[in-house]
Amino acid sequence: MKTFLPFLCSLAFAGFLSGCGKSSDSPAAGGGEVSKTTGKKLTIALLPKSKGNAYFISCQKGAQKAAGELGDELIFEGPTGTDPARQNEIVENWITVGVDVIAAACENKEGISTALRKAESKGIKVLTYDADALPDARSFFVNQATPQGIGNALMDQAAQLCSSNGEFAIITASLTAANQQEWQKYIEEDRARNFPNMKLVAVKPCDDLKDKAQSETTALLSAYPNLKLVMAICSPGVPGAAEAVKQAGKAGQVKVIGLGLPNENKIYVHGGVTQAVILWNTMDLGYLTVYAADAMARGTLKPGEQNFKAGSLGTFEIKGDNILLGKPFVFTKENIDQFDF
Amino acid sequence: MNANRHWRIKNLFRHESILLIVLVGEWIFFDVVGRNFGTYDNSCDIFRHSCEIGLLALAMTPVILTGGIDLSVGSLLGLCAILFGKFWRDAHLPIPLAALCTLAVGALAGGLNAALITRLRLPPLIVTLGTFSLFRGLAEAITRGVDTFTNFPSSFLFLGQERWLGAPAQAPIFISTGIFFWLLVHRTTFGRTFRAVGFSPEGARFAGIAVERRMALTYVLAGVVSAIAAIIYTARLGQAKADAGNGYELFAITAVVLGGTSIFGGTGSIHGTLLGVAAIAVLQSGIVHAMQPSEMAGMLTGALLIIALAGSVLPKMISSLRARRSANKLATPIA
Repeated sequence: MKTFLPFLCSLAFAGFLSGCGKSSDSPAAGGGEVSKTTGKKLTIALLPKSKGNAYFISCQKGAQKAAGELGDELIFEGPTGTDPARQNEIVENWITVGVDVIAAACENKEGISTALRKAESKGIKVLTYDADALPDARSFFVNQATPQGIGNALMDQAAQLCSSNGEFAIITASLTAANQQEWQKYIEEDRARNFPNMKLVAVKPCDDLKDKAQSETTALLSAYPNLKLVMAICSPGVPGAAEAVKQAGKAGQVKVIGLGLPNENKIYVHGGVTQAVILWNTMDLGYLTVYAADAMARGTLKPGEQNFKAGSLGTFEIKGDNILLGKPFVFTKENIDQFDF
Repeated sequence: MNANRHWRIKNLFRHESILLIVLVGEWIFFDVVGRNFGTYDNSCDIFRHSCEIGLLALAMTPVILTGGIDLSVGSLLGLCAILFGKFWRDAHLPIPLAALCTLAVGALAGGLNAALITRLRLPPLIVTLGTFSLFRGLAEAITRGVDTFTNFPSSFLFLGQERWLGAPAQAPIFISTGIFFWLLVHRTTFGRTFRAVGFSPEGARFAGIAVERRMALTYVLAGVVSAIAAIIYTARLGQAKADAGNGYELFAITAVVLGGTSIFGGTGSIHGTLLGVAAIAVLQSGIVHAMQPSEMAGMLTGALLIIALAGSVLPKMISSLRARRSANKLATPIA
């Protein structure tokens, strides 16, 4: 009995390792077949950074719509906890499942790339969306927003609300953050070229804190009585600035716009404090990603192409290996309730 | 005495055989409903994905056997991973030397747990809850939460990602660690005292066992094994970051308890722990292959734990009920 038990266990473990001696269905062979015969149902795996995040659930909605139109099967799976190895494990499981395409939003650029490269070596097409991997680990990146696109959209919106004339101020995350500086560069470029009568009077950092954005905005409102608009270019800054304007009783008189998430701004948008929230359309991001994934697997989208047509959304520009989602999306009183993230 | 021992072995046998049946059942189920589940490739992946947690569970078994607990292993894995990266990238040590230094750090950290528990006589739960935060905090402070170590040489990444002689490259390390712990716990008089310590520390002390030294050793071993797991984890992901191994301590404890080790110490086995790890790992992979949402894995792990534990207690309850009934029958004529 005593020797029998460990023997039994080691036997089980050996069986577990040998995997019942079944040979693996090579996903490479499956993928090859599919791309030859267009019209065959593809399996597209969509990996979010985290599964419960409303932002990615919104991407999934668009992705599901695209998969339905194309007749493909969509798998949406991602980490539910904080284990950074989980994304890799899911991708590696998909490799053995034999999916046709993997589209990943990467939490850890370097870490996930090892798994994505492995998928590519097994003949699975790989692209990224939302957050890129290392360039050698994927064929395309669906880029939701370029710094120039964001900068221009913010400035154009500001000018439109101020009739291209008057003082405005910027609430930034920190004066040193690289992305914030880049956006400001394009805001300034757009202002100088198209709206010379708009005057930027102050740039204040809020350290990515709503409270600080509120107190900075309150200070701005008293320092610049002619201020027509506050532009917050970090997401906690938008509701912070709006709260300050609301408490000062200047709702509508001093306009608020910014780069942020619809949900945390809904109350201010409906209250007439915030006029516009700018981001990208997450549903379109998911939709475009799935269309690109499908086209890659069917061989109709290859590196080096200049543009790409994605179903009902029309044609998108490809810059190098970046598929550009294009102009940012403006959330206003009219459309903000369609989005939940 | 002999009858008692026989009864205990029988009982142990029951729990582990139930677990084995559950494991085989899981395998067959996912092989039927999942896509490409029962393949050799996937078996290798399941092994690779559960290797670190398996190592931690192996080291956790003696700790729990002596009636202790070590909540710091996951955090220590994170600390060791980033220190390994630091030794290699910033101190320019060759990989083998960096690995050796990391093992030393693991031993030191385990030694800290051991000293606090055996010298200051603080409860293991409290001590390792403290070092759980301390080690993770140190890892975050050293990297300021953002520094990521990457671009390791491919000869090192081989350890976590490739196959050697057809088996995952980390298999030799895992198997030798498993054999080491199995021999220690089941085949040496030294290791068998772990159970005596867990069953009754005072009794063990009166029997002449150096209780503190035995307990200290289990924590130092847990520290060293956490460091080994950290190196394998880094090789598998190709990166070391302060959040490495987040939550692994709970997976390891779950596997140990699922494997039949009593959380109060005294009873349990290494092979039970291995079965526990396998049962959880198969579930985690199977869920993805069956195209089911992965949050179900957590739910099913919980259900598995309850079924396995209830399953091993049930026969005991039935036999005690039966004994009581026959005792009642005997008692009736007298009354």
